Amino acid sequence: MKSIRRGQHLITLMLLLFLAVFGFLIYRLQKDAGFYMSHARNAPLGLVYDRRGDVLYDPNATADQYGEDHFLDISNLIGDDAGQMTNTLVANNKAALTNYSFLLGEQADGKAAVYTTLDHDVNRAVYDAFGKKNGCAVAYNYVTGEIYVCFSKPSIDILDGYENIDTLESGSMLCKVFYPTVPGSTMKVLTTVAALEHMGYDGLMSRSFSCSGTYTDLGGDDIRCHQRSGHGQQDVVKAFENSCNPFFAQLVEDPGWSLDDIMETYRAMGVRINGEGEAQSMDVDGISAFTASTVLTDKTDFNTQWGCMGQGKTLVSPLQMMVWQSAVANADGRTTAPYLIARTTDVSGNESYTASTSRSEAMFTAESAAHMREIMLTNGRDRYSSLLPGTTVGVKSGTAQVDNGASENSLLTGFVDDPAFPVAFCIVIEDRVGGEVSNTDIAGKLLQTLKASLA
Amino acid sequence: MFKNGLSYAGTIILLLLSHAAMLGLVLVRSGTETLPLLILTAAVLGLDLVGIIAAACYRQMTYTLDLILLGILGMSLIYQSCFGGVSLSVKHLITCVTALVACEVGFLVTRDHDRIRRQKKWIYALIGVLILAILTLTGGRSMWINIGSFSIQPSEFIKPCYILICAASIVELHKKVKVLFFWVSVDTLCMCAMTIVIFGLQWWCRDLGSLPTFGAVFGCALVCRLCYPRAKINKPAIAILCIGGLVLAGAAWMLAPPYVQERLHVDIWADQNGAGYQQCQALIGIARGGWLGAGPGQGALHRVFAHESDIVFATICEEWGLLYAGLTVVMLLILLTTVLMDPPKSYYHATMAAGVVAVFLAQMALNIFGSCNLIPFTGVTLPFISQGGSSMVTCGFLVGMLKAGQSPLFHHEALRPPKPKRRTDPERRAHA
Repeated sequence: MKSIRRGQHLITLMLLLFLAVFGFLIYRLQKDAGFYMSHARNAPLGLVYDRRGDVLYDPNATADQYGEDHFLDISNLIGDDAGQMTNTLVANNKAALTNYSFLLGEQADGKAAVYTTLDHDVNRAVYDAFGKKNGCAVAYNYVTGEIYVCFSKPSIDILDGYENIDTLESGSMLCKVFYPTVPGSTMKVLTTVAALEHMGYDGLMSRSFSCSGTYTDLGGDDIRCHQRSGHGQQDVVKAFENSCNPFFAQLVEDPGWSLDDIMETYRAMGVRINGEGEAQSMDVDGISAFTASTVLTDKTDFNTQWGCMGQGKTLVSPLQMMVWQSAVANADGRTTAPYLIARTTDVSGNESYTASTSRSEAMFTAESAAHMREIMLTNGRDRYSSLLPGTTVGVKSGTAQVDNGASENSLLTGFVDDPAFPVAFCIVIEDRVGGEVSNTDIAGKLLQTLKASLA
Repeated sequence: MFKNGLSYAGTIILLLLSHAAMLGLVLVRSGTETLPLLILTAAVLGLDLVGIIAAACYRQMTYTLDLILLGILGMSLIYQSCFGGVSLSVKHLITCVTALVACEVGFLVTRDHDRIRRQKKWIYALIGVLILAILTLTGGRSMWINIGSFSIQPSEFIKPCYILICAASIVELHKKVKVLFFWVSVDTLCMCAMTIVIFGLQWWCRDLGSLPTFGAVFGCALVCRLCYPRAKINKPAIAILCIGGLVLAGAAWMLAPPYVQERLHVDIWADQNGAGYQQCQALIGIARGGWLGAGPGQGALHRVFAHESDIVFATICEEWGLLYAGLTVVMLLILLTTVLMDPPKSYYHATMAAGVVAVFLAQMALNIFGSCNLIPFTGVTLPFISQGGSSMVTCGFLVGMLKAGQSPLFHHEALRPPKPKRRTDPERRAHA
């Protein structure tokens, strides 16, 4: 009998092992059922709201119900479940939006919903302010991470469906806030931070370079300034205000630091250099955003200097540019992670997720951040005081050559120096030449409308 | 049966009631017309009746397994007849009857452990014939023999034969020869040689899904052979065997053909319309069904390839709910647990039962966990529930082997009534 009992023990062991795995399977099935359902065709989805309860997505929306163009400004950000736009809020959060529970099954009238941090009214006002121009804008609270404004123009009106997809303007179906663009002189913020990190504030302030309109670098190439007559002798504060290319070319060539020093700070700030390592991305509630990349080879090389001024092969997403502002605005060198979803509710209306603020490790020292902050605020005080009357805004503008210099984009990034209104932003206007609207107009509209709305 | 506190009459009533309840559920939730349901009801209850009568034809110590098997086959017939709409699956009904017949055959063939042990060489020969059939009749590196519209998978029939050669009596285990540093029984050596041949065949025919099943049987056999009574358990030998097994498994993992590698590493949600299609649809179906199901015939998985076989667990979940699907698994486990409640009466049958349980559990795990993406998807059948004649016949035969352990025949004369001795005339006179 003992021999038979051993066989029984073996059978018992196998049965128990199977039961244990089967138990785990049941646990996993009921836990992940929402995720599985989010991949089902025609699963009933809930609504997406902005911070005031305005509907940003309704799977059964009609023009009669919401009015024409109601979703135009946020269509390529919020998206839908049609599968045409994959890097959108709805496409990447279907599990949270699906009106379904393992016990109750599909519930067409369930209460699953996503409550975003967006302010639709402000979003739409700034979108309309672009007029005939295309581009994108993003603004967020650099203390908490809530994204208030985020849109990309041209856009698609979801209510029109996808039948006329071939006639849409290029870029209509993606939110360019999350995609790479040439940053232009807004990149000088990073170069200045790198100089502060490796030369120190006093060391940097002690350097003064002359601009005569054109500077021939050590490699023999000419760096031209946008002001043909030149800016004369300048320190970094003036050169930053003037966005003077010859100054920054000479700063890069300065023997007081090496290319490795620049690269070290760039890497710390998330810039992928010379294609090394894995391509990095930032996650905003499931939406994947490009960070930054550049090519740096030699301090005396024209392309390297050009790259440090945000031209050539340097690419940054507008979102990343805005996020860098948080490290400066908070004066501690740490970025605040942006988010779009404030909270979600499940099919029964119970809160299933609540957002929380997340901050990065220090990318550069608080001292450098504080000095950079002051340099940007000086620029704002001197040149952009009209943006938000009564409040100083730290600003850096940029002009980016795109399409091999065939056209230029206008950029503006910065932050508001007001603890009651801690907003950082980035605006891109495409093909700025001959435009009826400037970045300053857009930024002013954005900040003033948003402040009034949040008040 | 009586020992376990249940009466046959009560169990039969319970069996009929449970099938009637399922059919009632079909009536309520499927919205089907009356005629298809009546036909299905007649088929299920008819199958129950045939099974009960068939089991009663043979004298057994217990009929527990027969009744549980009938319960499972009835459930299976109802499930298979409701996928995508209520209509009796005649093909599945035929295979269910065939499984019942195979069960009785398995029982009769294996109940005398002395005889089956003595005839092991013929089992080896049978496996050889089956392997030859696979190599010559399947047409290339395949496991299927196609005859008209019928397909037979001979490798399924190898499973019970393999279990029979893996089972061993204590007498066989004591006949040992020295190989290198180890004393090994001749029977074990033969078994290992046959294992290598079968594994090689599976590899050659690209039927790697069955390898874990044969591996489980082999593992059970090895454990039984290393730990039999009065065996000098050689711990270093066990350690070396374990390491060897792991190395072999690792090598198989690394050397697996590209299509297997793809299945091992596929991210199903990233490849929903490719290699992950069936698993994704299965999981979506399970989610859609929830605990209570969408209703018999109300699912969408019936449009997916192999919904009635490889992903049948998900199809049942979608239409009947995880509760019913779980109940089906529990029924299959109860079938196997009878081996614990009513243990085999001989060591040979005990090792045979371990092999049968290993086959059932391995196939259940591969089918259920594979379709739910817990392990790589191999596409094997769920015993008695999936459609497939070869699988049903094999599983029926295997249950017959379990029955044999519970109602064994130790001697051919055992069941014959002793012949009365003829009294001699002096005795008669004395008696008078």
